[in-house]
Amino acid sequence: MIRHKIRFLLFFLLIWGTSCQKDQDKSDFGLAYPDYFPEPYYKFGKNTLTKEGFELGRALFFDPILSIDSTISCASCHSQGHAFADHNTRMSFGIDGKMGDRNSPAMFNLAWQPIFMWDGGINHIEVMPFAPITNDVEMGETLENVIQKLKKHPKYVQRFQSVFGEKPIESQQLFYSLTQYMTMLVSDDSKYDQYRQGKVSFTIDEEDGLQIFKAKCASCHTEPLFTDFSLRNNGLEIVSDDFGFGRITLNEEDNYKFKVPSLRNIALTYPYMHDGRFRTLEQVLDHYSQGIVSHPNLDKNLISNGKLGIPMSDVDRQKIITFLHTLTDYTFISNPIFSE
Amino acid sequence: MKFLNFLIIFSAAIVLTFTSCKKDDDHDDTDHFHEGNVTIDFDHVWGATEEAFSLNKEMTHPMLNEKMTFNIFKYYVSNVRLKAKDGSWYAMPESYFIVDTDPSGSNLVTIPKVPGGEYTDVEMTFGVDSTRNTSGAQSGVLDPSKGMFWSWNSGYIMLKAEGIAPTAANGTFTFHLGGFKGENKVQTTKSYNFGSTALVVDGDREAEIHMVANPARLWHGAEKLSVKSVNTMPNALAKSMSSNYYDAVRFDHIHN
Repeated sequence: MIRHKIRFLLFFLLIWGTSCQKDQDKSDFGLAYPDYFPEPYYKFGKNTLTKEGFELGRALFFDPILSIDSTISCASCHSQGHAFADHNTRMSFGIDGKMGDRNSPAMFNLAWQPIFMWDGGINHIEVMPFAPITNDVEMGETLENVIQKLKKHPKYVQRFQSVFGEKPIESQQLFYSLTQYMTMLVSDDSKYDQYRQGKVSFTIDEEDGLQIFKAKCASCHTEPLFTDFSLRNNGLEIVSDDFGFGRITLNEEDNYKFKVPSLRNIALTYPYMHDGRFRTLEQVLDHYSQGIVSHPNLDKNLISNGKLGIPMSDVDRQKIITFLHTLTDYTFISNPIFSE
Repeated sequence: MKFLNFLIIFSAAIVLTFTSCKKDDDHDDTDHFHEGNVTIDFDHVWGATEEAFSLNKEMTHPMLNEKMTFNIFKYYVSNVRLKAKDGSWYAMPESYFIVDTDPSGSNLVTIPKVPGGEYTDVEMTFGVDSTRNTSGAQSGVLDPSKGMFWSWNSGYIMLKAEGIAPTAANGTFTFHLGGFKGENKVQTTKSYNFGSTALVVDGDREAEIHMVANPARLWHGAEKLSVKSVNTMPNALAKSMSSNYYDAVRFDHIHN
């Protein structure tokens, strides 16, 4: 009797629940990640993730049509082989050989990232591409003009319509599709991941490295994404007037703070820091152990017992680097579904 | 008994099924008035003399005593609500507008399908509410391709004033005022009472609210253009200039 009632109730709830929904995507295409990852920060909401939407985003990512003179695409400075960082250059070159003033960040696990850019100035992944498209030294284009170009392009008109329906292309659709591509860039198959999943074991040095890393680095580069997405002053010598987060908030206490980058794929994404000043991981660890420069905004984690820097022996450093190499995800950098 | 239970669940489910898609309730309590459009007309004037404000016309700022010729003056207005005589509010859904003094845009805010009846007040937000500043890619009036969104420091440019000023450092002035959080947040909600005359919404009958706004007020309290002619990010100056402007917007009259 009760079972009966429940069955009826479930049946009608089902009808009710589906009565407002549009066509459901039948495919199993979606954002997949290991169970030790947190819930993604980005909720797709109105931006329904589909294979076609992802593929449209991918086409746009690799298409220089987004730049004013059709010379620069997103992929120009975000190369899959380098975990979508630039090709190991300090600064990137945009239109007319113009040089940017910060190092192109790697791109992966962006669905978990709440803020964007080294200075954290962008508050949502969907509007992230707006910055490079319109920046004078990157793609130098206007959003209006990009939309006009796409509307004149029969291939894109047809593809946008198949994803978003029969309506004129507008910037929201461009941003939605690029977001679908960007959020699908999940890096979760490094040796570290295989180790977490019990598929492989670490060498003694890798295991030691992980333990030292947990003690010395993980307060900011938090597992499993290897960043806590905060903005911090990490004691770099001040060599420019790039205030970082302070440029966004105009608050002196935020000056020279930059976003903590993920350390996944770190061996592939040199040079390091917001301005690419360090070429090797050894230089980076030298900085954290001996090179910290005092500043009123310096992160408290970089002072121990009144001394600047993180105390690390040479052996510690070597083992940390050995561990960091387990974060390279060869499956990710060679996955054909992310390629042009 | 069994059948009764079934009946209860069945009817509940039917009710749920048919109400779950329904949009905002209609105000059907006013039988003899029909729904219609309401227009808010922003009339832009200049200085205490309230001469007509116009783009591409040289005007002298009475307080700065500096000449200026605007070529852009526009701003966001959002979340428009009307208060009915019975005290209830009608809130327009998806209520975002750019009030533009350029003829390519519009200085009119049109609220469609307002329930018929008499209204005593209008409320609106100057600027864009903080939610839409943090909700990713928007469309329509909030489309970033309108040139009213900062790419590098996410948020809407809530008011844009640009033009030529011979006294300014490079001969031009550029004020992009915005910022949606903290003490310098720009968006401001204002409400205006119509006084003794109620706004009547009844089908095709004209229902216009006339507002007067004065761009010269931006510089009440700001420095001369010879000192400061550019401000393009959220800060205290954006807050004070926009507040001075918004605070001086006034209700003028109703056309029924």
